[in-house]
Amino acid sequence: MGTDRSTSDLGRFAEPALLILVSLADAPKHGYAIMTDVNAFAASPIGPGTLYAALARLERRGLIEPMGPEDRRRPYRLTTAGSEALSSHLAEMRRLVQVGRARLGTADV
Amino acid sequence: MPAPPAAVGIVLRAYPRRWRQRYGAEMAALLAERKPGWGDLLDLARGGLDARMHRLVRPPAQLVAAMPRREVVMVVPVPRPYGVVEQQPIGELSRRAFMRRMLGVGAAILALEFVGGTIAFLWPQLRAGLGAKFPIGTVAEIIAKQASFANGWPFAVGPARSFLINVPAAKELALGREASIANPTAGQLLALYRKCPHLGCQVPGLCDELKRFTCRCHGSTYNILGEKLKEGPAQRGMDRFGVEINANGVVVIDTSQYTFGALDRQDVKFLSFVDAAPYDRKCG
Repeated sequence: MGTDRSTSDLGRFAEPALLILVSLADAPKHGYAIMTDVNAFAASPIGPGTLYAALARLERRGLIEPMGPEDRRRPYRLTTAGSEALSSHLAEMRRLVQVGRARLGTADV
Repeated sequence: MPAPPAAVGIVLRAYPRRWRQRYGAEMAALLAERKPGWGDLLDLARGGLDARMHRLVRPPAQLVAAMPRREVVMVVPVPRPYGVVEQQPIGELSRRAFMRRMLGVGAAILALEFVGGTIAFLWPQLRAGLGAKFPIGTVAEIIAKQASFANGWPFAVGPARSFLINVPAAKELALGREASIANPTAGQLLALYRKCPHLGCQVPGLCDELKRFTCRCHGSTYNILGEKLKEGPAQRGMDRFGVEINANGVVVIDTSQYTFGALDRQDVKFLSFVDAAPYDRKCG
């Protein structure tokens, strides 16, 4: 599991992990910045424990990496593998959205 | 509502040591900015549990390199002993994690046993005792066992704690006449519960001289159909169970069908059956 580069099989941390990847997509951020960012754009807020549980998993999979500490805070950035995983995941979600909308008859919306 | 810092400190101890070495400082920085509430505390506790259950922290090389090293004074080559302990590969179960998991498994088994035992204790036991059905045998088999049943004498059924009464024959018997009825229908059979409705003593068998039941404890007296007579403190007649004859002709006492005996209205005129002896006589 240590070599798995996808965000699947993250169990209940799959969604927070995805939110973190999205949050880091534009610029590196430290923990608190990720949290406020995610809680601003996502429907369900994530708590500090969930945030770090997901962060640790992403880090072990090599999807994100820590940068040098600033003060006591440590920013994280996407790795190449991380941005690949994010874009493939988003592509899959896009496909899902298209199928869902087509079946609902709201494809043009 | 913000949680007190002391509570935050306690919850952070839920995380394993290695986790705190790696993430402790930045998490503290986050919490300093965030002013965690009780919900965050719960979330942290769950995170700590998660971190203890999964080995998530692999110290990255750059962090390891940044750690202060102890000065090595002298390196003595030590011969490797048998069963040398290798560095635990990440992702495999360490002895400590194994022991911890076994502790969890043990606790789970204990909880399971407790719950299972409680359920087993509360489960109704319908194969014995009050509430069960007791097959007795066909009427012919009962008469083969006790010929006097055809003549109206009660047949004691131990497991159902009952007297089975052949009602038409029993009436003749109590009136002092001789009768032999070998084929009573289900409606002509009566199962009297032998527990005295006064205080629960076991009612003894029919007495010879009166063909009545008299409880040995306080003398409550019943006629051959279990109706309360003059004597004794019981407030009602003997209680009854359902009786049926199934497809194979077997008499079954159904103790889940329970009927209270008729109230003692203290006058002979309220009885459904009046035997030969005076109303106020008791056995013995």
